[in-house]
Amino acid sequence: MPMKLIKNEDENVIRVERKLHAKHYALTLDKSWCKGCGICVELCPREAITLKPIVRPSEGRANPPEIDIDVEKCNYCGICTAICPFGALTLEIDGKTEIPVINSESFPKLVRDVRVDAERCKVGCVDCEEACPLGLIKVSVTTPEGEVVEDLESIEDKESLKVKVDIDLEHCPCCRICEYKCPEGAIQVRKIFHGTLKINHELCPDDCQACLDVCPIPNVLYKEDGKVYVDERFCVYCGACKIVCPVEGALELNRTWISHVPVKSGAWNRAVEKLASTEAMAKLLKMKALERAKSSVEKRLGRRL
Amino acid sequence: MDEEPRIGVFVCHCGLNIAGVIDVKAVTEYAKTLPNVVYAEHNPYTCADPGQESIKKAIKEYKLNRVVVAACSPRLHEPTFRRCVAEAGLNPYLLEMANIREHASWAHPSEPEKATEKAKELVKMAVAKARLLRPLEPFKVPVTKKALVIGGGIAGINAALDLAEMGFKVYLVEKKESIGGHMAQLDKTFPTLDCSICIEGPKMVEVARHPNIEIISFADILKVEGFVGNFKVKVRKNPRYVIEEKCTGCGECRNVCPIEYPNEWDEYMGVRKAISVPFDQAVPLVYTINRDYCIECYKCVEACGPREAINFDQQPEEIELEVGAIIVATGYDIYKPFDDPVYGYGKYDNVITSLEFERLILAAGPTGGKVVRASDGKRPRSVVIIQCVGSRDLKKHEWCSGFCCMYSLKHAIMLKEHYGEDIDVYILYMDMRTPFKGYEQFYRRAREMGVSFIRGKASEIVEDPETKNLYVRAEDVALGEPIEIEAELVILATAAVPAEGTEDLARILNLSRGSDGFFLESHPKLKPIDTPVDGIFLAGACQGPKDIPYSVSQGSGAAARAATILSKDEWLIEPIVAVVDPNKCRNVKVKCGICAQKCPYGAIKIEEGKPAQVVTAMCHGCGTCAAECPADAITQMHFTDAQIFAQIEAALEENPEEKILAFCCNWCSYAGSDLAGTSRFEYPPNVRIIRVMCSGRVDRDFVIDAFRKGAGMVLVAACHLPYDCHYISGNWRMKERMEALAKMLEKLGLTPDRFRVDYISAAEGLKFAELMKELTAKLMEIGKERIKAENQKLKPILDRMLARKGL
Repeated sequence: MPMKLIKNEDENVIRVERKLHAKHYALTLDKSWCKGCGICVELCPREAITLKPIVRPSEGRANPPEIDIDVEKCNYCGICTAICPFGALTLEIDGKTEIPVINSESFPKLVRDVRVDAERCKVGCVDCEEACPLGLIKVSVTTPEGEVVEDLESIEDKESLKVKVDIDLEHCPCCRICEYKCPEGAIQVRKIFHGTLKINHELCPDDCQACLDVCPIPNVLYKEDGKVYVDERFCVYCGACKIVCPVEGALELNRTWISHVPVKSGAWNRAVEKLASTEAMAKLLKMKALERAKSSVEKRLGRRL
Repeated sequence: MDEEPRIGVFVCHCGLNIAGVIDVKAVTEYAKTLPNVVYAEHNPYTCADPGQESIKKAIKEYKLNRVVVAACSPRLHEPTFRRCVAEAGLNPYLLEMANIREHASWAHPSEPEKATEKAKELVKMAVAKARLLRPLEPFKVPVTKKALVIGGGIAGINAALDLAEMGFKVYLVEKKESIGGHMAQLDKTFPTLDCSICIEGPKMVEVARHPNIEIISFADILKVEGFVGNFKVKVRKNPRYVIEEKCTGCGECRNVCPIEYPNEWDEYMGVRKAISVPFDQAVPLVYTINRDYCIECYKCVEACGPREAINFDQQPEEIELEVGAIIVATGYDIYKPFDDPVYGYGKYDNVITSLEFERLILAAGPTGGKVVRASDGKRPRSVVIIQCVGSRDLKKHEWCSGFCCMYSLKHAIMLKEHYGEDIDVYILYMDMRTPFKGYEQFYRRAREMGVSFIRGKASEIVEDPETKNLYVRAEDVALGEPIEIEAELVILATAAVPAEGTEDLARILNLSRGSDGFFLESHPKLKPIDTPVDGIFLAGACQGPKDIPYSVSQGSGAAARAATILSKDEWLIEPIVAVVDPNKCRNVKVKCGICAQKCPYGAIKIEEGKPAQVVTAMCHGCGTCAAECPADAITQMHFTDAQIFAQIEAALEENPEEKILAFCCNWCSYAGSDLAGTSRFEYPPNVRIIRVMCSGRVDRDFVIDAFRKGAGMVLVAACHLPYDCHYISGNWRMKERMEALAKMLEKLGLTPDRFRVDYISAAEGLKFAELMKELTAKLMEIGKERIKAENQKLKPILDRMLARKGL
């Protein structure tokens, strides 16, 4: 069979496929998880992922940005899948979920560091489950035998019950809301992206709150006196706000650190440079003692780092 | 050479061949009366030793400086007599022949008197030309004893190996990463079923190891300049991003590379890594990074380690080669029938091409040799092979691709060998073509193994959306009724088409291509390996589809042809070439360049403000430029304007209105006229033939001059259109020129029938004789009086036209 490139899109997914006689590749975007942050757009080495034109409604809430995938260009390397903070993309090779760049350590796995000490949990408390803006936490109570308790009232010996907190880490952007909301201090979260987000109010157009409208985490951005403010405690630095912001420079996003398993890879170095900054990458190279790579960057930039 | 011409005329009896019809004594006596003829004699056999001795003796005794031999056709004995006069110290180009055998005694045996008169006039014409002959020296060019072979398929490999074994340095330039060509893609070869790479692999390795061969792979030919013995070739080596000398071919880089892309060598059925070799036996065994896919993670750099063979900064490199001969062996491509709705190729998963099937059944292929369907990964139980997909099809490709019948038999036999009774194989064919050694036996073997042969052409293929099985509908010619076969896999034996890039290469090398797009050989029978450009030869399927043994033979043949040049220190070029008079060339003052445009060989170079320049070694002497030049600044040596005007004058001195003046090209129509004589097809004796090398040489002025001198009729005869011309396109140039002239002459009052352009091949003696009869009958019909009256009216106008040119 000659090679076939297939693309399907509906309201829920975009799916691109490269079908060879002896091998099958498929990349699927689950639109419900895509928040339009554009990180994948930035990192795709073949420029196969693009942002669709941003529609700015004259009234009402701004729409989150949407992405598109070019079936002619996709390489099926898996970088988009590896980097998506919301886990919106899945890559399948011959029907199996696989990320080639992670297998070969050409790209790191993001570290989604969410630790729960369920020992501290109070039976009956579901604060974290309720707090999670993406609905990723499921709290359950089990008997010592491991049976899930459906009706808590029916159990007399509540002391012996155990609490189990399941978190769907695959889609978790590590916003830390659960950590703050936990009355027992049982949850510890380390963010994936670290950095700063600043709003220059003097540049903001009147009545604009597009950033606030598209932010996937509630209360990171909030409005007071007609101005939008940032609560950086919960910001995941995804950058969706920056994409919809109509004024250049009104939003300043700086990522300074990305939590990931260590890798030595040119592709990752470039990713860091794109997502954070040249300085951040230089720091990374220095840390890894990659002097040769560092001097080649310096040669390219024409200055010392 | 300005001394007064002293011409000797030697009339041959040719036994009774000439003397039996023609009064040779009268011809000899007549010759003596012609101006500048100082001696004439007749011999029984001029070409025999006594005859030749007699010529030599006369040259010395009578201080002859021109020789006319009135005998047979110059196509037969011109070389003999040239040698003869050269032995007597005369320049060989000071000889002219009058063809009184083929054109007189043999053509008009029943009219001996008229034949004698014609012979006299043929001698007169020859003497008139001889008076103006000039001595010429052949050109000598040095020879670079190296060869370039373009294309590293099985034909190119054999050409390179043969030349290298003869001791010549060979550059083998291959566009792709590895040599091997299509043969390296195949599983088994017919009719012996030996493994393809097992027999080609050792040859590929031999090429790599041979001290006289340098493989330049992953490279493109950018420019070729120069001529036979002296080509300058510019080649671009494309960056592999792997240093050839440092790569050990270990493959550790491939193991760590995360990126896969569809492999062209697998017909895009399988994948290869972004750093990889196309197949394990690749030669040279050097890895290549495909930067279109690479994500630059540098895992390969890490894996390569201290070998440091990877260099992401590699740039394309241009190199220049100097070679004496070039062999083109660029092969073919396989047609992919995406555009033919009948077969559903590209639409139905289980319809594949034969080349895809090769990769499928090959143990080293993407499925590990398992014949499985793309739709469900299962092995098919019934296979239909459809022949002539895109071949022998006037809507697609007219030609028979030659090897498809045989490889389809091979595929059928292999399926039967693998799966026996467990598989049904059908071959749907138009004709089974199995000539050559062992092929028919192979066909019988397939029949005996139970392959079903159905004669007919598929009209439609329909897919069952559930099972993805295919219903092949066709007309069974034997039964005379429509049939339908359910197939789990359909294999299409598609046409072989010219390789991608053939057009560009044709332009770079100045080669011509046939209507099929393949490179055109110099002569389909006698020069099947030569091209119209001296020093460039063809091997393998770039000239037309060929199977392996044929390609191998042609590779060796091309090597032998190239060696005829490379083995010499100097190459001689016949001096019948075009020469530009820089004082007359218009290009000095205005932008002209017509000659360069019309030259079929690209042998004329034009620079603004400078006279046109003929690259002598590239000139083939057709004379088209001389005829086209608006300033008459170009002279074709040995066929100069003055010489041809003198022949016209001599031919039309007496009773011009009764005569047909014919300009015949040497290779086809003159040969046709010779054949008319040899075959004794008698025709009226009123035609006077002037021989030119190519009809492209026939200047408008020649025709105008003939009419003003009162010719009854003028014929320009050429090789057949479109491809018979021995100078590629001289006949086309003549046609364009003469069509315009005919219109003008008609406007001026010339009866259209009096000017004729026709095409006569060397085999058409009968056509020549019939044409002469037809034209003579027309001449009679028009009538002498009318012709005279027309001529009288035309003459002052034609005189004025030629007077402007000083004629």
